[in-house]
Amino acid sequence: MPIQKDPEGTEILHLEEAVAFTGRQVLEIGCGDGRLTWRYAPSAGSVTGIDLDAEALLSAVATRPGVLHQTVSFARASSIDLPFPHEKFEITILAWAL
Amino acid sequence: MVHALEEVRRVLTPAGTLLDLRPLADSWPVEILEDGNPLETGRLTDLPTGLDDDQAANLAVEEAARRGWFKREGEQTFPLYVYWDNPEEMTDYINERWADFVEMGVGVQQTTRITWADAGDSRRVRMKLKMLLTSWQKQ
Repeated sequence: MPIQKDPEGTEILHLEEAVAFTGRQVLEIGCGDGRLTWRYAPSAGSVTGIDLDAEALLSAVATRPGVLHQTVSFARASSIDLPFPHEKFEITILAWAL
Repeated sequence: MVHALEEVRRVLTPAGTLLDLRPLADSWPVEILEDGNPLETGRLTDLPTGLDDDQAANLAVEEAARRGWFKREGEQTFPLYVYWDNPEEMTDYINERWADFVEMGVGVQQTTRITWADAGDSRRVRMKLKMLLTSWQKQ
């Protein structure tokens, strides 16, 4: 494995201290290959991950756990022109994206 | 960046939560881990672009708050570790992905390689990033 980011799971501990994901509609901007997504998605109501990196998104789709197929989706999109209607999400994560 | 925050506000429900999670320039230390014990071999050098990026992001969120879009609810910093299989892979990754905002000096590279070579089979090489997590509530 060439690189391992945060195998200790420090990020998700702090995210879960900041907000409860249970049952919530989440937008993750800068989702990349889904490294962070998989950590909170099981408890969320639904997750939409966006990124501009097509290769990373393909990896995210390919590694999406079967149990998350109905609740996690990915799209190639930019944060300055979000292709979503008003007031669609309860939580937005700017994941290493600002 | 301010426009992106305006878009985030648009798609958030009333009183929805924005979580701004990002690494901060902080001369990240490089460590060789042996039997679970870290030994710092040096620090990266923050380049002006990285420092400017942090400042621009900070200014953008402050501007969003000034415009009344979001209210800060909490903020914390914490360490996050990134691991590589060996120092060469770490150097390659930095040069390929992070060269715009950090630099690993020759002295740090040499010290890291020597310390790595001298360490036992359980050795690992890692970098300690400083992370910022700010929670904002849509107004």
